[in-house]
Amino acid sequence: MNTPASPLEGATIDTPKPPVIEARALTKHFGGTRHLFARTPTVYAVNGVSFAVQQGETFAIVGESGCGKSTLGRLLLRLIDATEGRVIYQGKDITQIDAASMRKLRREMQIIFQDPFASLNPGMTVGQIIGEPIALHGLAHGAARAERVAQLLRTVGLQPAYADRYPHEFSGGQRQRIGIARALAGEPKLIVGDEPVSALDVSVQAQVINLLEALKQDLGLTLIMVAHDLAVIRHMSDRVAVMYLGEIVELAQVDDLFDAPLHPYTQALLRAIPASTPAARRERPALSGDLPSPTAPPPGCRFHTRCPHAKPRCKDERPLSETLPEGRQVACHFWREIQNAGGGTPLVASVSPKLIERLGIYRERQALANSGV
Amino acid sequence: MSREERRPVLEVSGFSLKFSRAPEVPNLVDNVSFSVGAGETLCVVGESGCGKSVTSLALMGLLPSPPAHIVAGTAQFDGKDLFRQSERELADIRGNRMSMIFQEPMTSLNPAFTIGEQIAESVRRHRGKSRAEAREEALEMLRLVRIPAPEKRLDAYPHELSGGMRQRVMIAMALANRPQLLIADEPTTALDVTIQAQVLSLVKNLQAETGTAMVLITHDLGVVAEVADHVAVMYAGRIVEYGTVSDLFDDPQHPYTIGLMGAIPSVGKREGPLATIHGSVPSPEQMPAGCRFAPRCPFADERCIDQAPPDKLIDGTHRVACWVAPVELCATPRTKEVTA
Repeated sequence: MNTPASPLEGATIDTPKPPVIEARALTKHFGGTRHLFARTPTVYAVNGVSFAVQQGETFAIVGESGCGKSTLGRLLLRLIDATEGRVIYQGKDITQIDAASMRKLRREMQIIFQDPFASLNPGMTVGQIIGEPIALHGLAHGAARAERVAQLLRTVGLQPAYADRYPHEFSGGQRQRIGIARALAGEPKLIVGDEPVSALDVSVQAQVINLLEALKQDLGLTLIMVAHDLAVIRHMSDRVAVMYLGEIVELAQVDDLFDAPLHPYTQALLRAIPASTPAARRERPALSGDLPSPTAPPPGCRFHTRCPHAKPRCKDERPLSETLPEGRQVACHFWREIQNAGGGTPLVASVSPKLIERLGIYRERQALANSGV
Repeated sequence: MSREERRPVLEVSGFSLKFSRAPEVPNLVDNVSFSVGAGETLCVVGESGCGKSVTSLALMGLLPSPPAHIVAGTAQFDGKDLFRQSERELADIRGNRMSMIFQEPMTSLNPAFTIGEQIAESVRRHRGKSRAEAREEALEMLRLVRIPAPEKRLDAYPHELSGGMRQRVMIAMALANRPQLLIADEPTTALDVTIQAQVLSLVKNLQAETGTAMVLITHDLGVVAEVADHVAVMYAGRIVEYGTVSDLFDDPQHPYTIGLMGAIPSVGKREGPLATIHGSVPSPEQMPAGCRFAPRCPFADERCIDQAPPDKLIDGTHRVACWVAPVELCATPRTKEVTA
C-alpha cells in the first residue's frame, strides 16, 4: 500500500537531544492521613518512576486499571504534586516552582482527557471553551481571538460556525475534537493524552487517532499517551513504558516491545490481546489472579504473586531496573532466562487478501469523494 | 463449528422496534433476523446506537412498554414467541432457561445481598430447592467459574470483590440453572485485557460443557474473532452483513464492515494511517430513507440514497444488505492497476 513513511519513524534515541520532560524517581502516595479515629490506608500509586521523553516523540504509558498510569500523567503536568522525586521540563526542575510561573508553563504543557462528556463545561459555548486559554495567556483579543478560535476549529476538522454552540450539541468524537482544540489553543509543546480515544467508537476512534498524528507532525508536538489499548499504542507510539502497580517494569522501542517482550508481565499482557482474525485463535495461558491492592503491594517484585516464573528470590528482593545496550529497560531478576517465553505464536495472522483489496478501493473512493467531486 | 447440531435455540425474524407509536417515526431496530443453535455463539457487533443492546433487552422482555413498541417480528425460543409472553411467563423463563450477563459488573449486582444469596435466589425461585441445597449449588457455581476460596466468597458482598471477580459472579448467576440461551451484552468491555482473556476463555469452556447457545453483543472485533461462530454486523438498527466468522473476516462485503476493519489499529507492524468512516451515526429521528449507511459510504449513489437495499445471498449463510457489494465492481481503472 502507498503508505507515506512518517518522518519520525527514523528518529531514534541515539541522536542526543535534551529531553523535553524527564521524571526522576517520581513517587506519589495518597492517603495515610490521620482522621478522628484511624489512619486512612496509604495508596502507593506511583513508586520511584524515572524516564525521559525526547522532543517530537510519542511516548506511551501502558498498564491495567489501578497501575498508576493516569496519576503519573498528572504528576508530569503537576496537576497533582509528587510525594517525592522531581519533574524536569526542558532542563528546569518544575517540582517546586511557584504557582505564577507554573501557570505560564501550562501554556506549553497541555492535557486531553478521556471522557469527552465530562471534560467540557456544559455552560460555556465551544468558542468560550477554546478561547479561554487564549485569553488567560493574553495571546489574542477581540476579533483576533475569534479568528484564532475559528482557525483552531478548522485545524481539528470542525466548522468555525460551531463556536456558538454548546458541548451537548456534539457527538463524542466531535467533543473530543473540541478538547483537542482547547489543548492546542495555547500553542503547546507537550500534550499528555489520558486515554484520549478509549471512550470512542471504533470508526470515530480512528478519526481522532489520525487527527492526533497529523497534528503532532504539523505542529512538532511531543505526545505522551496514557492508554490501556495495546493496539492503539502499537499504532501510535515510538517508545512504550509498561507499568504494573506503580512501577515501570519494562521500557522499550515499540517494535522491540511487541516483537520480543522481556518482562513476564509484558509477555502476559501481549498474550491476552484477542486474536485479530479467527485464524489466529489459540489456546493461551491466561494470567491468573487479580491486581493486588495498591494499598498493600506485595514485597519484593510486585508481580511475583501472578508471575508464572516466580522464584523465592522474587519474593524477597525488589528487582532493579536494568538498562540494556540499546537503551531498553527491564525490571526482572530472571529476564535472561525467560526471554523466549513470550515468543512462540505470532500476534498477528495475515489479513485476508480480499479485505486488503477492498480496503484499497474503499480508501480510494473516499479520497475521490474528499477531493470534492 | 457445529453445523450438524444447528437446530436453532433462538430464532428471531423480522424484528422491528421503535420508541414511539407515531407512524412517521422510523424504526429504531428494523427488520432484524438471526438465529443461534445449541452450543453456538452468535456475535452481534456494531457501534453505539446501532440497536444491539436494545435488541437484547427486547428479547429478555426488559424494555418498558410504552415507550418501547415492537412493530413486527417474532422470537421463537423453546416453542414460544418471546415477544408475546406475559410478564409472569417471562419471569419463569428469565434466569432459568434464558439468562443475561450485563456490561457493568459494578451496578448489576445487588449491593445489599451477599453473592451467595444472589446466586441461590434464582436456584430457589426456578427449581424450588431448599435454602441449604441452593447454597450448596451456589458454592458449586463459584467453583465452576474459578473464584479462589469460594467458601469464603459465598458470604462476601459485591463491593468486596474486584471487577473481574464480580463479572464471574454474574456468569455464575446466569449459568446456575443451565440455561439453553445466554445473552451477554458487552461482558468484557469494562474489564482489563488480562481479565478479559480469563473471562472469555471461561465462558467458552463453560459453553462447551453445557451446550448453551450464546448471543454476544460487542463492539470489539477482537472479541468477535476470538469467540464467534456466526456474526451479525449491525448499523443504525439494521443487520448490514451476516455470516460465519470466517466469511466475515476473509470476505467482508459491506462497505461498513470493510471500513470498520480498516479502522482498527493492528498489533502488528504499523502500516500508515487508519481507514476512517466519515461523519457519524445518524440520530434516531433522522434515519436516512434508503440505505442507512449511504450518507457515510464512499460508494453510495442515487439508488442507495432512495431505496433500502435487500439482502443479497453470497453463499451458505453469508448475506449482505448493499446495492454495490462486492465493491470490486466499483474499482476505478487505477485501483485495478495497483492491485494487479
